[in-house]
Amino acid sequence: MRNIQRLKHADDGESKARSQQVTADWQEMRHRDFKAFVAVNVEPFAEQWDREQSIPDSTIALLAKAGYLGGSLPPQYGGQGWDAETFGLLNEALGRGSSALTGVVTVQAMVSMALLRWGTKEQKEKWLSSLAKGDVIAAFALTEPDAGSDIQSVTTRFSAEGDQLILNGRKKWISCGQVAGLFLVFGKLDQQPAACLVPRNAYGLHVEPIRDMMGFRAAGLAELHFHDVRVPATNLVGKPGFALSHVAAAGLQYGRISTAWSGLGLLRGCFEESISYAATRKIADNMVGNLGMIRSLIARMGTDLEAGSLLCRSACRAEKDHLPEAFEKTLVAKYFTSTAAARAASDAVQIMGALGCHGSSPVSRYYRDAKIMEIIEGTTQIHEHILGNMFVTHAAKLGK
Amino acid sequence: MKPVSAVEETSIKETIKQFILRSIDFAQLEDDENLFESGLVNSLFAVQLMTFIEKTFSLEVVMDDLDIENFKSLGATTAFVMKKNGRPNA
Repeated sequence: MRNIQRLKHADDGESKARSQQVTADWQEMRHRDFKAFVAVNVEPFAEQWDREQSIPDSTIALLAKAGYLGGSLPPQYGGQGWDAETFGLLNEALGRGSSALTGVVTVQAMVSMALLRWGTKEQKEKWLSSLAKGDVIAAFALTEPDAGSDIQSVTTRFSAEGDQLILNGRKKWISCGQVAGLFLVFGKLDQQPAACLVPRNAYGLHVEPIRDMMGFRAAGLAELHFHDVRVPATNLVGKPGFALSHVAAAGLQYGRISTAWSGLGLLRGCFEESISYAATRKIADNMVGNLGMIRSLIARMGTDLEAGSLLCRSACRAEKDHLPEAFEKTLVAKYFTSTAAARAASDAVQIMGALGCHGSSPVSRYYRDAKIMEIIEGTTQIHEHILGNMFVTHAAKLGK
Repeated sequence: MKPVSAVEETSIKETIKQFILRSIDFAQLEDDENLFESGLVNSLFAVQLMTFIEKTFSLEVVMDDLDIENFKSLGATTAFVMKKNGRPNA
């Protein structure tokens, strides 16, 4: 009997290993597809988008056609039903090409996943398939001029009047705000955090483009002004009181996954550009790559790339398995890749010298975009504050 | 409906208690101690607790369940899990 049980456990183990291998092979195949998409449709144009501070509608249509705007949504809504890791691999590939374009995928996922988790049946039926198909581009309207890291301080007011909500307030630094057709807006209703959906054509909503950002210049940032904007009360997402802790959290979790992987893609870009340059550029009769100081910089990039990949995968597996530690692991991954990407971008510019400072090389753009990655979805310092508290608490527990 | 098992309730409560105590810097936890008002935990923990009970007890927290009364204390969370798993008298 014991032998039979042992055999069964061995079978279960083999079956699980086979299943994991099939998943890994499939993800690898998709990653190759994503990278091929980026090589053809993104990398040749990313500098131009950056200069013009805009992404053409035709490129967003290509993302939609490929199914990339609904990757994480289930097939019942027209999505691809990808797990978090596959979604991450898309962001990694896009991050190598254009951080600004990745921003479109990021915010679409943030709104879609918040709605999937906490939307009503009617809201899901009305919006999710349009979001998955890219018929509607969404934006996550949380940040305000005086409420960034401290999201509890949002002051946008929601007032109930009959079966309607009236919105007044201002949002700032909203990615994709210039092109979005739907906003998930956070504010306060009777002093309680609340979230609601606002279509772009709502009367009283004014969208003001923000230009001349240091990085993510083509991400279409905007400031939103709400002056007595009326929407049906049925547009509320989740219950008042839980908009920040639950609705925003569901979106921000995907935002951090996306940014973590996008940072990894940018890091890969720095690594590949640096080794390519170091292998061909000569100083006197010596290749740049033969210099010990340059090799040190490249060694750190390559090691960060490997470590960042493992942290991103670990976070996504926890998310896929619906583990409570998914939040913490995602913070770790985002913190690591965004800081490593900023370091790598600085080193890549240093390795390439004047060329690295010019728009003809992508590393000058990487340098500017990498800094933004340390700001969005929680600054580096906010990550350190939260993670520091978590680690100290865990350590205190172990001590007891 | 199966009768409520005191053993089952104790087991659920102990499982939740261990999770909470692992997450906060506190040695003991009373059944009715309000987690949020006492400042023991923050809103980030609220999502982690929700995820933990969903995963551990194979249930789904839906919008109508979003009520602080369901998660405010160890006792309330245990009662919520019992109710969601078809043990409303707990």
